[in-house]
Amino acid sequence: MAIQITRTGKNTLILETPVMPAAGTFGFGDVYRDIINFEKLGAIVTNPISYEPRTAAHGARVIRLDSGVLIHTGLPNLGINKVLRKYRTLWTMLPLPIIIHLIGTTPDHVRKSAARLDEEEGVDAIELGLNDDISQDVAADLIHAATSRTEKPVMVRLPTTDTMNIAKIAIEEGASTLVACSAPRGTARDPRTGHMMSGRIYGPIIKPMILRIVAQLAQTFADIPIIGSGGIHTPQDARDYIHAGARAVQVDTVTWIQPQLLEHIARDLGGWIVTRESGALPDEWHPMMGDTEKKRRNQPDIGYDEDELMDKLRR
Amino acid sequence: MKQSEAIIERVRRINPAYQHLELAVDDTLSRIKPGQSLLVKTGRDWHPYLRVQWHPVTIAGAKLVIERPAGEHYDVGQVVDVLGLVGQPIRFRRNLRNVLLVAYDTPPTPILMTIPWLMGNKVSVTLVLLGTARQYDTAHLNPEVEVIKGDDDLNWQNQVMTVGWADQVLAVVHTDDELGRFKKLVARFEERRAIIPQNYLFGIFNGDLPCGVGACHACMLQTRQSWSLVCTDGPAFDLTQITLD
Repeated sequence: MAIQITRTGKNTLILETPVMPAAGTFGFGDVYRDIINFEKLGAIVTNPISYEPRTAAHGARVIRLDSGVLIHTGLPNLGINKVLRKYRTLWTMLPLPIIIHLIGTTPDHVRKSAARLDEEEGVDAIELGLNDDISQDVAADLIHAATSRTEKPVMVRLPTTDTMNIAKIAIEEGASTLVACSAPRGTARDPRTGHMMSGRIYGPIIKPMILRIVAQLAQTFADIPIIGSGGIHTPQDARDYIHAGARAVQVDTVTWIQPQLLEHIARDLGGWIVTRESGALPDEWHPMMGDTEKKRRNQPDIGYDEDELMDKLRR
Repeated sequence: MKQSEAIIERVRRINPAYQHLELAVDDTLSRIKPGQSLLVKTGRDWHPYLRVQWHPVTIAGAKLVIERPAGEHYDVGQVVDVLGLVGQPIRFRRNLRNVLLVAYDTPPTPILMTIPWLMGNKVSVTLVLLGTARQYDTAHLNPEVEVIKGDDDLNWQNQVMTVGWADQVLAVVHTDDELGRFKKLVARFEERRAIIPQNYLFGIFNGDLPCGVGACHACMLQTRQSWSLVCTDGPAFDLTQITLD
């Protein structure tokens, strides 16, 4: 399987599987290696990085919601130089493309960061994250700052507000891919402190909202690949995004809760899923496989071909 | 880090507020050390969404004894999904003789697993319960543990002596304002002991861990040099090395 997830160009990005983790949920490719087979994923989108280091948000950062979570981390990171020093070697060794999520802070910082990333061999694309309340002018400046300084594909992660207009601007400014969308913002009361906290909402509930946006984007902008991201918790959720017009999907916080589900979704959409008990290679085993199927595989050879027998019975 | 399944083999109410679950786990998880924990998902749906942190209080062979509030319902034979081991073992100082455990406005559950390990190494243990932690019923603890109940303002009997005798202190506080509460605790120890040496006063950070593997960075702490993650570098941190402001 080969899926082109960026516009055709000098550094077109083609994935073997249309599934990748979303920014902020998968570290820098340094975690989950004991639990997830990276070779089954399409790519890795790193945690957000900025030109300068950022410290973590003060106070509460996590509020448990009914069937979801509200998170405000402040996007802490070491800054682009230290991150590159720390992970550069790892990225060149990993068996899949690396997409760096760059925080859209100021045009100057984005320009400098894009230029730095352009030189990096282990980086295959940049995903530019935009603020939710960003104006169209600022969005244009930030996207232009990135696309003008790198030949690597620049994917633009759209906010949930003013999405269609920002998408139009992103295409005009040379974006290679639209990623829809950043998790929506919300406010909740922290039951431990009684204080209100703002942050991003994650959970299955956001999928219908972003699925609609993806469908609208796909109808309006047919010439640019779209990646759907938000609330994917089952292989069917991921297929829904593809059905709505997305070329690939990003799986977010479900990776924290059921890490193996990310691999399962990737196997499902990547055509790796095992549907018959015979002929499967040992490496096709994975923990999400149903118990019934496991038991049948473990049965000793019963001395006849089950399919043949079923044919005879039918006759 | 491993994702696996575990079976609840026994549920025992130890007092009106808490129950102990005997959890049969695989070999990797049975090697858990004091300070480490498990992230557990009990149901197949998405409520609760995030995994819940479970703290063993003792290990019996391949079974972990987990302390949970009595209000939660568990069945014998229930299978739970476990992600672990989370965190690093607590690093105890060499030549330990006396350890002071402090729980402030929260049950001491996250630090109870140290007790059998310390007692087994002939270390005497004093448990100080402050604020709402005083309500914690200690009848099930090893009778050799000295239990002291203090007040809401971080005072307890023989404070100068217990602080002075202790070779190492492990403290756990309510998660509503961990940094603020640890700061108060450090200030109290500074009043009672002129200099707080390094590797003496440790805070056990116990806030929500969304991922438990270092992916989300929601548990990041600012240290004097750089920063650390509670889920991969903690949960025990030398409080003199953490920026508590």
